[in-house]
Amino acid sequence: MPLPHDFAQPAVRRAWGRQLLSPIDEAKWNEMARELFAWQFAQVPAYRRLCVAHKITPENLASWRDIPAVPQQLFKQTLLYAHGSASPAAIYVTSGTSTGQPGRQHLLNTDIYRAVATEGARRAGRFDRETEFHFLTSSPAEAPYSSLSAMFGFWQKASHQTGRRFWVSHEHFEFARLREMLVAQIKTRLPIAICGTAFSFVHLIDAWADLPPLRLPRGSWLLETGGFKGRSREVSKAELYQQMARTFSVRDSAIWNEYGMSELSSQAYAHGAQGLHQTPPWARVLVCHPATGREVGIGKHGLVRWIDLANTDSVLALQTLDLAERTARGFRLIGRLPRTEPRGCSLSAEDLIAAAERSQAQAIRHV
Amino acid sequence: MTTRQRLDLLTRAYPRLFPRVELVRLLETQLGHVNALDSWAQRKGINVRARAPKLICHICAGNLAVSARTSLAHGLLLGSHNVVKLPGDREDSTTRREILAFIDHLPAPLRKLVETHREIDTELLHRAEVIVAFGSDTTMKSLRAMIRWDQKFIAHGHAVSLLWLADPNRLTARQALGCAIDVLTYDQLGCLSPQAIYVPPDTDFDSLGRKLANALEAQWQKLANKPARPLSIAARIAEARDVAHALGHRVWLPPGHHLGWTLIHDPDSTFHPSALHGVIYLRHVSEAHLTAALASVAGRISTVGVAGKLAPRLENIFINLGVSRFCAAGKMQFPPLTWHHDGRSSLADLVTWIDSENLE
Repeated sequence: MPLPHDFAQPAVRRAWGRQLLSPIDEAKWNEMARELFAWQFAQVPAYRRLCVAHKITPENLASWRDIPAVPQQLFKQTLLYAHGSASPAAIYVTSGTSTGQPGRQHLLNTDIYRAVATEGARRAGRFDRETEFHFLTSSPAEAPYSSLSAMFGFWQKASHQTGRRFWVSHEHFEFARLREMLVAQIKTRLPIAICGTAFSFVHLIDAWADLPPLRLPRGSWLLETGGFKGRSREVSKAELYQQMARTFSVRDSAIWNEYGMSELSSQAYAHGAQGLHQTPPWARVLVCHPATGREVGIGKHGLVRWIDLANTDSVLALQTLDLAERTARGFRLIGRLPRTEPRGCSLSAEDLIAAAERSQAQAIRHV
Repeated sequence: MTTRQRLDLLTRAYPRLFPRVELVRLLETQLGHVNALDSWAQRKGINVRARAPKLICHICAGNLAVSARTSLAHGLLLGSHNVVKLPGDREDSTTRREILAFIDHLPAPLRKLVETHREIDTELLHRAEVIVAFGSDTTMKSLRAMIRWDQKFIAHGHAVSLLWLADPNRLTARQALGCAIDVLTYDQLGCLSPQAIYVPPDTDFDSLGRKLANALEAQWQKLANKPARPLSIAARIAEARDVAHALGHRVWLPPGHHLGWTLIHDPDSTFHPSALHGVIYLRHVSEAHLTAALASVAGRISTVGVAGKLAPRLENIFINLGVSRFCAAGKMQFPPLTWHHDGRSSLADLVTWIDSENLE
């Protein structure tokens, strides 16, 4: 087997980026997956140990489907970085909700992340220079460790937009100023895209509960991502989408869900509350059963496993605890795997953290 | 009905759960006499008599039925009326079924003293003289907010347990089996279930791991009703195994990698809760570092199961960490009825006393 390319080399990264965005057939996919797997197997000691435990090496890998996936949890416990002591250009930090420790994704360079995050959104739906973007997050400058803010920053640049676009500042939502700007922009009849976490939309809907709905121009869309458990009042997805549709006078199909995570470079998108998630051509999702490690049948439930060819700098295969239904044309995301068994008096990691965090709890305030 | 009559009924219905000799011992050690509720007894010149609460409210946890059964047995022994708030968070709760089956099989005179509810009945809660609750710290906090100052609130919140192997290099097959019984009983779901096995640093982990793995597999194979491993549980077991592999920890798995048990040697001595369901961590720690290793659970350690002899200095360290029970490995899940659950006198806590001093 030839030595894999060195993904630290700018020329290799540029070539890889071009390949990702070009048509990828099954043979090409397999070849690229093998090459990236071999590189990361050689470069990331923790990943190599996991693969060896599963008896999978670059030499005996039969199919990309057999590539071992690291548990998402592992990003919270050790460094998964394929470039040794080279300084990363970006470190994105995950939430620490399940262990109290955040996970860290190190990127040698944001070049590939920028390219696929922008192209992925472009392929998922309307994304053009005419669209006016607004982001219900902090800016990348204010939140340099947020992969979501970074992605929204890429989108802002790709759409060549200037002026105020990020509406969280120093942990304050600036909904009043956002509304003023939206009211002015609506008159131009250009499409508007409002993107934020689900919990930020819940706060926005609460803040504007007594105000009349806005009528966003034709072609406008909303994008929500992530969960909101414990960060705002909890609402079902269907209810949230109804409220978003009402607040902005858009159809359900104009509301997107972005399913991504700091540990990955690519994202999946779904349109509407019942929409199926679909990945871009350079990433795939397998819905697997943890007992067998194998894909479940169509219509069955399993856990989401990502194979992301754009995730060159850490690990391409990620095992989540996100529950999904496998369908013939994508997957239906159900949500975070609930801890179904009652713990009762038995102390869990979450309980320990909750006890430690109770006194530190901070709420994001409205302005 | 006298205490003896209730005792007879209870022990006849459940001779293995509540042996007569243990019930008698419980009454004698905690109330002074079997007839303490029924007649005056003289104590240092004063006549005393125990009075049982008229109404006890038992708030049951969803993980295991055993604590609910014991709590209810205490209430029945006292002759109180018992309101049982069943775990109601899941429709298919095995625990609820087990509690209801226990109540159903009580003799009629005792069954009359029990009523069950799926939700908390606030009116009954207010009438209760004593509320005994099992569950999470959050449950305890919300219950406390509902309870008056003059009601007794006996809260059994979160706790953990662990095993200590005094001489792991000479662990006998019997001791290893004891550890396996402690780990696998009730699928490791209770607060008496060990979540870690602590050993001194100079342990031969190859040999110890092999012995424990063999014992775990033997015990797993012995289980008549093997616990289910649905997707959510399988996911957490698989995650624990993969994380351990990636971190370079030594992992012992069952034949065919079934999901019954998992033994992991984590070189970090700090206690971390396990994924449960047979996932047990082997941790080594020196005596000097034991307090630091267990600092995150200080005050919440219920039971330390011991294989071998516990040195007095170690015993003191554990006591200072708030441990309320030591027992032999293999006995962690089977405390005697006289056990001071969370350090409390379970039966004595429920009663009040009447004193009669030198009446003419």
